[in-house]
Amino acid sequence: MNVQIKETTEEQVPVMAAQQAVFESGNEMAAMAAAQINYHIMGYFPITPSTEIAQYLDMMRTRGEHDIKLIPADGEHGSAGICYGAAAAGARVFNATSANGFLYMIEQLPVQAGTRFPMVMNLVTRAVSGPLDIRGDHSDLYYGLNTGWVILTARSPQAVYDMNIMALRIAEHEDVRLPVIVAYDGFFTSHQKRRVQIFTDRDTVRDFVGEQPEFPHVLDENKPIVVGAYMNGEDLMNNHFQQSNAMYRAGEVFKEVAEEYAALSGRSYSPLDLYRMEDAEVALFLLNSAAESSKDVVDRLRAQGIKAGVISPNIIRPFPAKEIREALAGVKALLVGERADSYGAEGANLTHEVKAALQEIRGPQPIVLSRIFGLGGKDFYADDAEAFFALTLEAMELGYAKVPFDYYGQTPGNEAQKLQPVIAPMNGDSFKSGLITVKVDEATSKLSVKVPPMRALAAKPKRFASGHGACPGCGIFPGLELFFKGIEGNVVTLFHTGCAYITTTGYPYNSHKQSFIHNLFQNGPATLSGTVEAFLERKRRGEIEVPEDFTFVMVTGDGGMDIGMGSAIGTALRGHNLIILEYDNEGYMNTGAQLSYSTPLGHMTSTSGVGKQQQGKPFHHKDTVQMMAAAHIPYVFTGTEAFPQDLVKKAAKAQWYAQNVGTVYGKLLITCPLNWKSDDKEGENIVRAAVNSCFFPLYEVEQGQTNITYDPDGKNKRVALGDWLKYMGKSRHLLKEENKELLGEFEREVERRWSILKAKHENPLL
Amino acid sequence: MSILPQQNELGFYEIRLESIGGLGANLAGKMLAEAGVTGSGLNGSNFSSYGSEKKGSPVKSFVRFCDSQVEIRDHSPIEQPHVVGVFHEALYKTIDVISGLRPGGTVLVNTARDLYEVAADLNMTQGTLAAIDALRIAVEEKTKVNTAMLGALFRICSFLNPDDMRQVIRKTFEKKLPHLVEANLRTFDRGYNEVQFLTLENPAALMSQAAFSRPQPLLGYETQEPGGILTVTANSVLKDLSGSRQGYLPQYKMEDCIHCAACDTVCPDFCIVWEQKPDKRGNPQMFMKGIDYQYCKGCLKCVEACPTTALAAMLEEAQYAEQHRVPQSFPYITAEGVRS
Repeated sequence: MNVQIKETTEEQVPVMAAQQAVFESGNEMAAMAAAQINYHIMGYFPITPSTEIAQYLDMMRTRGEHDIKLIPADGEHGSAGICYGAAAAGARVFNATSANGFLYMIEQLPVQAGTRFPMVMNLVTRAVSGPLDIRGDHSDLYYGLNTGWVILTARSPQAVYDMNIMALRIAEHEDVRLPVIVAYDGFFTSHQKRRVQIFTDRDTVRDFVGEQPEFPHVLDENKPIVVGAYMNGEDLMNNHFQQSNAMYRAGEVFKEVAEEYAALSGRSYSPLDLYRMEDAEVALFLLNSAAESSKDVVDRLRAQGIKAGVISPNIIRPFPAKEIREALAGVKALLVGERADSYGAEGANLTHEVKAALQEIRGPQPIVLSRIFGLGGKDFYADDAEAFFALTLEAMELGYAKVPFDYYGQTPGNEAQKLQPVIAPMNGDSFKSGLITVKVDEATSKLSVKVPPMRALAAKPKRFASGHGACPGCGIFPGLELFFKGIEGNVVTLFHTGCAYITTTGYPYNSHKQSFIHNLFQNGPATLSGTVEAFLERKRRGEIEVPEDFTFVMVTGDGGMDIGMGSAIGTALRGHNLIILEYDNEGYMNTGAQLSYSTPLGHMTSTSGVGKQQQGKPFHHKDTVQMMAAAHIPYVFTGTEAFPQDLVKKAAKAQWYAQNVGTVYGKLLITCPLNWKSDDKEGENIVRAAVNSCFFPLYEVEQGQTNITYDPDGKNKRVALGDWLKYMGKSRHLLKEENKELLGEFEREVERRWSILKAKHENPLL
Repeated sequence: MSILPQQNELGFYEIRLESIGGLGANLAGKMLAEAGVTGSGLNGSNFSSYGSEKKGSPVKSFVRFCDSQVEIRDHSPIEQPHVVGVFHEALYKTIDVISGLRPGGTVLVNTARDLYEVAADLNMTQGTLAAIDALRIAVEEKTKVNTAMLGALFRICSFLNPDDMRQVIRKTFEKKLPHLVEANLRTFDRGYNEVQFLTLENPAALMSQAAFSRPQPLLGYETQEPGGILTVTANSVLKDLSGSRQGYLPQYKMEDCIHCAACDTVCPDFCIVWEQKPDKRGNPQMFMKGIDYQYCKGCLKCVEACPTTALAAMLEEAQYAEQHRVPQSFPYITAEGVRS
């Protein structure tokens, strides 16, 4: 049993400010600190596992517990831009991200640091793709080492809270003026709930961070400034020399701020967390949560008479080289365990930084071993720490490291378990039903399509396999499958990140019957543009011979048309022969139901809560269909599973246009019972009501001419918007008396868009 | 003196909940841990297994309790629990739910079956088996399975105060869904009171711990295709998703079926199985043959879509799905060649 060595509870250490114990996770603590500080602005974009921070802040804001303006960006690049612009305007600014989100914003980060605008960002560390893995390692963090941001590392939810409060003080210190990252382990620290002490009164926190210092900003009419002037090398040298000095001073400021914070909280943080290092002969150097887990093993080894210890930094930028030298002076063998690799460098980044620090020791230096472990959130157990110590003991005994650098925890696999094919591969012929005919009508030059009853089409094999991991009642699959019923022959699909991708490709399984590519959330259309052009070029050179061309379909959803809009527009403008198919589930459902731009007005998501201060999403849904139509591509359509014949016909047209003319875009409205908070069985009824209420009109824009393919007014099927909204827990509050005005605004917008569409339908030039 | 009945070498009393996404084990674990930490003055931690799993996939939730002054530094999943809570019996098929159970440990199962049968299915030779028909309670009270499971878990963790939980239930529902307060309190109390215990006393096995092994990936660095590329397609058909169902499944009456395919176009899991046969005039036509329950998650969209009485919702009875399953047919590849 380990009894706390650092005493942190109230009864044991007299603390100056009132605190209370809560049982919360690291993400909750980051949000709590931000709310208590009451930043001006948070620009954010959802990515697991950091998204919860924005969600908790939205929840607290809904309850009126802070005034931070939360801005849902169009991607992380945008979120970093929002933060930069707000910082230049003199605001206190906050952000949070992970993994590829961090990489997507990375070009903005040195700008923030180099132009010296403080802010605080939580990096909830996670494996960088690819292949995609949502769990925790440090591959994202290591990309941040050269951005010029101060980097604090938090090993526990308690440290997340404490460091978030200290971070702002360090960032805004007049000797520093740099942005600060607080990095902690995705899931291990972000999601595990622990007992945490927080300040009872938020004024304690506000007093500690103090008044914001006056730095130059763009909103002082009497002191205009120019931010980001162009420099040549002579000037850039000097700018970066200043920045470098500021970074080293941040190390000193960290110590001052930590001391002041210890007096307030009773919890102290030095640059290095040293556990039983006083007389240690063997030690592990580990970042964040793994260091904590190893302390239990140190206790066990100490009981056996082995002088073991753990060393873990609380700050890695600036790198505490001097402290590391001091702490390791007596150590014989050290293992640096790293949750990321710097491929080909015989050890990842911190290995080399530790080695470099030790090189300045006069006299004998510790033997340094380096191991890559725990990638992609692979768990780190006590016996793993024991294995690390065993390696250090062996090196101490031998006087050298047998294998200085290696991976730890990889498994060779068993030849007998190698993947075996399950079903016979299916090619274009398997999907040629011969039941669908597409002809060009000579009179109108538009397409005329014949499809048989759905019963006859049941003979056509499904494009996707059963056994995928979607939720019960998921609307993605009936939507996609119906669309593909209208597509004959060979396809190559690309799904970018989202539920459809995740649920059909959990390694080593998949639910695809023909070739499939996954690529990053924002980059699907561009990627498939490359694929289709490679096909055409290789076909032209005679390298590929197929009786009929492949149909290339890019599937997006879960907000992919927000972050991926640029890529989609670019693809449409270039006119590649492919189909962009969006399943619209009205939110970032894959990351936990945050609002996307296609979330309708007033709808509740995890970042547009319903409560005292707000009633769901504050702005209208994006009309992606019209935006894509404005790119003047040959065919644009909408569809739902509730109107199967309509959708199959449109798919057949989409295929013809993609193969013969250029880019096609289609949007399917699909039900997400989990996050729409609707009954699993109602999926089809909900999307039918969405159509009949004219929220989601069924239409196509063929060669620039709008054609409403199903008119609820004309068919006498029109229902009130409320008859659609009543099905979903996310929108039922709109039917309450107190939200009458909001509902009215929504109804007017739906009617306005529907009327425009009808005018377009009637006039081929509109 | 600790209030915890047992502690491991680090001072922890450990609970592992084995469940399926959507049954509420994550929330149950959180509430259990919170009651211990804020109510009973213990220290504790709680977390779940995380991946990109959706509703309907196997999940685990972990709770560690220790005395207030003990620091929790371990982040790893619980491998040798004192208590295991099994939220759905379908999990046995794919997961060794009692893996690593400590000697004298307790396994709580959501089941309507005979305790001895369950013990045999679990290969349990020692410790205490606790059973609660949480699904029936939840159906009767129109509440959730996890509340009944929590009631039973509080009975097992007798160091926790059930009043703390009753308080939490009241607080959770009072404001937004006041009509659910009483039903949820009843569900919790019924879980607490109706749980049944069976002590397994096999003297030979008494002191032995249930074996545990860390799951290894199917493929390794010598057998993975470089780049994570999969050269095998559609192998998800090997999966069994029947555990995703929460009580109901669609029942098919062929004699009422008009073969319109309305069910087929709305099914998210492609469970509707078809065959081609001659119609009355001798022309080839598609006929609905049945339902492949291996993939059916019980959403009942097909029942909603059916224009006749051919499909109806039915409370799932043991063995019904296995006996009435109409398997999909593909050209399968076997060691002997392609089999259709």
